[in-house]
Amino acid sequence: MLVLPSAILLFAFVLYPSGVAIYTSMTNLSLTGPAALNPRFIGFDNYTKLFSDHTFWRSLVITFWFVLFSAIIGQLVLGLLSAILLKRQFALRPFFNAIILMPNAVPGVVAALMWSSMLASGEYGTLNKIVAWFGVDPQRWLVTFPLSMIIVVNIWRGIGFAMILMNSGLSAISEELYEAARMDGATTWQAFRKITLPLLVPTIFLYLLVSTVTTIAIFALIYALTRGGPAGATEIVGIYIYNQSFGSYQLGYGSAIAVVLLIFSLIIGTFYVRALKVEV
Amino acid sequence: MKTKLMVSAIALASFGATNVWADTVRIAEHRQARIDALNAVVPMIEEQTGIDIEVIEYPGPDKEYISKLLTELRAGTGPDVFSLPSSGEIVDFSTAGYLVDVTAEVKGSDAWDNMFPIARELAETDGVIYTMPTMLAMQQFYFRNDVLTEAGVSTDQPADWDALINRAIEAKEKTGEYSLLMPMGVTWGGGTYIESFRLLLANSSTPELVTENGTFNLTSDGVREVFEFYQKMIEAEVVPVDPLLGPDPWVIPKYEMFPAGELLMTTCGSWCYIFDWGPESKNPIPDIENAVGTWKVPNVNGDAPSVLVNLNHPWMVSSSAVDIEASKKVLAAMGSIELMTSYAQKSGNLPSRADAIESDGFQQLTALVPLLDQLEDGRSVATAPGFSTVMEGIGRGSEALLLGNADAAGAQQILVDYVSNILGEDMVE
Repeated sequence: MLVLPSAILLFAFVLYPSGVAIYTSMTNLSLTGPAALNPRFIGFDNYTKLFSDHTFWRSLVITFWFVLFSAIIGQLVLGLLSAILLKRQFALRPFFNAIILMPNAVPGVVAALMWSSMLASGEYGTLNKIVAWFGVDPQRWLVTFPLSMIIVVNIWRGIGFAMILMNSGLSAISEELYEAARMDGATTWQAFRKITLPLLVPTIFLYLLVSTVTTIAIFALIYALTRGGPAGATEIVGIYIYNQSFGSYQLGYGSAIAVVLLIFSLIIGTFYVRALKVEV
Repeated sequence: MKTKLMVSAIALASFGATNVWADTVRIAEHRQARIDALNAVVPMIEEQTGIDIEVIEYPGPDKEYISKLLTELRAGTGPDVFSLPSSGEIVDFSTAGYLVDVTAEVKGSDAWDNMFPIARELAETDGVIYTMPTMLAMQQFYFRNDVLTEAGVSTDQPADWDALINRAIEAKEKTGEYSLLMPMGVTWGGGTYIESFRLLLANSSTPELVTENGTFNLTSDGVREVFEFYQKMIEAEVVPVDPLLGPDPWVIPKYEMFPAGELLMTTCGSWCYIFDWGPESKNPIPDIENAVGTWKVPNVNGDAPSVLVNLNHPWMVSSSAVDIEASKKVLAAMGSIELMTSYAQKSGNLPSRADAIESDGFQQLTALVPLLDQLEDGRSVATAPGFSTVMEGIGRGSEALLLGNADAAGAQQILVDYVSNILGEDMVE
């Protein structure tokens, strides 16, 4: 009885929608046209089509690079550095703390609109005004370097969360360990490599689990900035699902992509959960 | 006691579920100018029909508007009465079962007998009517008469497509400004087809996309000619490419560059004289009737030019409307002269009723009155189920051209591949 409320919520908001998505992925359901009125059961046709759809594979590759550089490398490294930096006492500490955490308080669409103005082409774009001081011609940031730009924006958005998590991990490491290391003549780098990093591993894996899955599912930030363009250059798989379901109105096909993405996320999640049991 | 409470709750819930909106017809509208136009005539419609009306605001951009509408219609929770941006989308909605057949109500209304023939033609498909046409969008080329004249560039009607592109090149050479804009790319949404591709296609060697058996002829000479024209525009650098690749591609060229004289020719509709650059604009062009002129769309081979006409936001009744009869009654009342005049004043489109142009309200719109003479030359391009996918494919093909990722043949292939992938190869000729 104690788990019944949780079980009901889990069924209503996770299992039932997943079941509907799996069933829909086996139909030709569309939002418009005759297939909206009379959808047909088509078995695994959508999956067969999916595996030969080069746009889908391209979107998976884009998603991989996006997650790797923004969540796994960018946010993690900068989040960890920020946490280490802000652990020390210095005059502007609260100021830096606020700067790093502020992007988390801004809604995704608002952040995207802000960056849209920052990265605008032509002489009116804020970034172009900045680089003009150094004699650089105006750039088409979201056209020439679209994926790099959304990676930068997403790193900016996510450092705060990484920092908070890393900070909690660092706080759990006893100062006595560092003191003992110092007495044994360990350098700062050796202390970081032999004490901080190994003891942070569970926190790092927890962060990677959360950030990987949430970054794969990012939508609003990219949709508002580039709509997945230009020419699909930033069409991560979440945007591809939206474009198939609400741009081309193919709900059945969009559901098939969503189901495949669910499977990928489960595999990644399982990998991280197993890794979390690592002995330090 | 518990049983009584439960029975009461269920009764209340079922009462609420069925009757909460029964005396109110909910009309979906989007964009402030259109909302203002509708709100101005709501009291009159309520008085005429005895039905309360609630105007519900929807997202502004057409793509987001249609997505929200479709999601709600699919769930059976949509508005009772709504409109679609153009005639092109109607067939995809009617075949999905979202629309109510309103043939009797529309044909029985005062509006029908007074409508321009092209409005009646566009509203009726195989003898069935799903929409009350209220406004017509007439599209052609608009140019900065003042800037071109000052630069010594001819403002005569271009004879064919070559003359048009040469005029654009000459204008750029003499003024240094971008000279020709046609909506292209994915982010312009349906406008890439409706305000651009369609205009050229209707005046190409093969002016139709839909074959007799309902498939799409995307490998036609006409489609290739349109993409080739786009390619020439891009290669000649007469079109401002950067803004077309942004998330709101119309804002900079239409609302900033053209009023500033930094863009000299563009496709547009009658609304541009009122909404984009006229009295309802935030950035109006002074003395617009003299500063901005119009050309019909030239034919690729130099045949007679034409303007493109389609229904603009025709109204329809949802098949999941709470009270279909009340909604039909409201729809019939929406064919009034007052509603058409209100929308003409706020958004700049043309009334579909010939008798509406005699009204004082419309006669004050001096920029629009002369355009009515061109309605007789108006043309349209037929659509078929699946057309939304074709429009998206045209956006993708033209975006590849903008990015330099494909030439005209490559862009046409992108269109063919996209539509074949989504609708199946048997839907593409």
